[in-house]
Amino acid sequence: MLLLVGDNPFHGISHLSQQRAVARGYDLTNPSYAANLVNISLDNGADGFMFTVSETTLSILRILNKGRRREDLHLYAIIPYAYEFVRLAVLAGGVPGLARKLGQQIVLSGNWRAITSGVKGALATDPSSLLEGYLYFEMARLRSAAGRKATVDTIMLHELVTDMALALNMDWVFKTHTEFMLAHRIRPGFETRNFAYLVKKFEEWRIDFGKVTIAAPFNSLGFQMCPSRKECEEALRRIPEGEVIAFSVLAAGYLKLPDAVAYTANFPTLRGIAVGVSKEQHALETFNMLRENTR
Amino acid sequence: MKARVAVVGLGKMALLHASILSALNSVELVSFCEISPLVRRFGKKIIPSVGIVAGVQELAGMGLDAVYVTTPPRSHFGIVREIYGAGIAHHVFVEKPLASSYFEAQELCSLAEKHGGINMVGYDRRFSVTFGKAKRILDEGTLGQLSSFEAYAYSSDFLGSKGRSKASSRGGVISDLACHAVDIALWFFGRLEVKSARVESLLGDGSQDAVDFQVASPASLEGWIRSSWCKEGYRMPEIGLIVRGSSGTMKVDEDKVEVNLGKDAPFLWHKHDLGDNVPFFIGGTDYVREDEFFIRSVLNGSPAEPSFSTASKVEEIIEHVKRMSDDSK
Repeated sequence: MLLLVGDNPFHGISHLSQQRAVARGYDLTNPSYAANLVNISLDNGADGFMFTVSETTLSILRILNKGRRREDLHLYAIIPYAYEFVRLAVLAGGVPGLARKLGQQIVLSGNWRAITSGVKGALATDPSSLLEGYLYFEMARLRSAAGRKATVDTIMLHELVTDMALALNMDWVFKTHTEFMLAHRIRPGFETRNFAYLVKKFEEWRIDFGKVTIAAPFNSLGFQMCPSRKECEEALRRIPEGEVIAFSVLAAGYLKLPDAVAYTANFPTLRGIAVGVSKEQHALETFNMLRENTR
Repeated sequence: MKARVAVVGLGKMALLHASILSALNSVELVSFCEISPLVRRFGKKIIPSVGIVAGVQELAGMGLDAVYVTTPPRSHFGIVREIYGAGIAHHVFVEKPLASSYFEAQELCSLAEKHGGINMVGYDRRFSVTFGKAKRILDEGTLGQLSSFEAYAYSSDFLGSKGRSKASSRGGVISDLACHAVDIALWFFGRLEVKSARVESLLGDGSQDAVDFQVASPASLEGWIRSSWCKEGYRMPEIGLIVRGSSGTMKVDEDKVEVNLGKDAPFLWHKHDLGDNVPFFIGGTDYVREDEFFIRSVLNGSPAEPSFSTASKVEEIIEHVKRMSDDSK
């Protein structure tokens, strides 16, 4: 079982209570503090770091890269950082404003492959080229922050993009992302809160489950397992060849770790678990326990 | 039977509702309507499975059951008038707030009444499992005789940003964010009258970024409603309410409901305890339940809440707050 340390606490996210996230204070969003927690997790059984690519997590990666030799750092990246995009859209005056801002960032990055694909996409009204331009941009800043020793195992599309594309039948998004990542020797991935729906759509679109990673909520409570826990579990059993990573295994802090261990043990095809940690002791205990009970 | 639906606008709220509607078995998403040629051009390529037209009039003849209006609030009045006037659809959903003034909201109520059909406004917090639970607790009289409440709506959306233009284009914090707290207060407590109001400009140049006002009900319930979109620590907008009664206190936000009756430990329900699952999850569960409810109302011909008439009461309060704040300057 792949054990991943998740980044939600580092963005000040608590799905149990936003008040709790506010009350937890700002240490967690301090990249040095967060990098230390990632290191402790890795030292105690975590295999990698699953995170949304943002300025905060890129800073964490830079610290991990500089501070010590980490040859065992496996990265499971999620793009885009949807919260920042929504906020940008608010500040920039909607979706066209967001597109302009993002275009400016890509041009300023000086990444010629991102710029070329972006310009080609804009001139030809070709969304696949635009997406490729964006993927070049994210891949470059991720690799630059993480350094050569880190391995980018998977780049996943954020749940907002995945789930919108699923609902609106935008199969080109999945095909473009999959082909692009495979061509760059990175495993394509998709984060979703609609796992059963995604499996059904991928079967319909003949997307090879053996080639992609899917991250989705799995917990004994059925929290955010849509449309139901039963349907998500059935879908998981249907795709033994898929690399499925469970998140929300603690139902956002509502469940205890032994519950998560016991529940995930029912699904031998589950490839990994991602768990967020907020304190040193918490990181140490969590990954020691997961290592002892899942291997 | 499926409801045939079109969505006016192609911004983030349009994409959110369109995604939910498209995933519902009871809906056929027929078309978008988007005024910008550039957005339309990309939209056609990005979402090839759904048509896109340039003007509301072009939606006529598509045999639509319902139209979702998700454009900026200042355009709602004209668009809804066009939908009713051209007989484009019998049923209309408008993303909150209903209109950009109380006068426009009243006009839309008259039009809707004349036209018939189901009408609803997107105050999604009414579909949150925690606010639903809190409303039931209140209706059961658990808190005894109510004495006061505090409602709030906070976000960090404009924290640290400079310039008022983008903030102003959203109609100020009262129309954009505080309206949720006002709607919840009206839903919970009924008729309210504004007693005093203070609006603050934090971004400068006359923008409305924070608001604090006092209200009272005919039953002598006193309340305070506070809102700011420059508040630190609110990564996501949060709406909440504290209610005090003769038998206890209740706190509710989007994550939990807590009832303290003064003896033993407080009763606490997280959203986990309240059956928060939906058929398709995107952007939060409230929006999904809201759209499911509206579509079910359309298909069954049953009234939907909050209707235009209900939502116009939010506009009435907002207008009073703005006027009272202007008078105090």
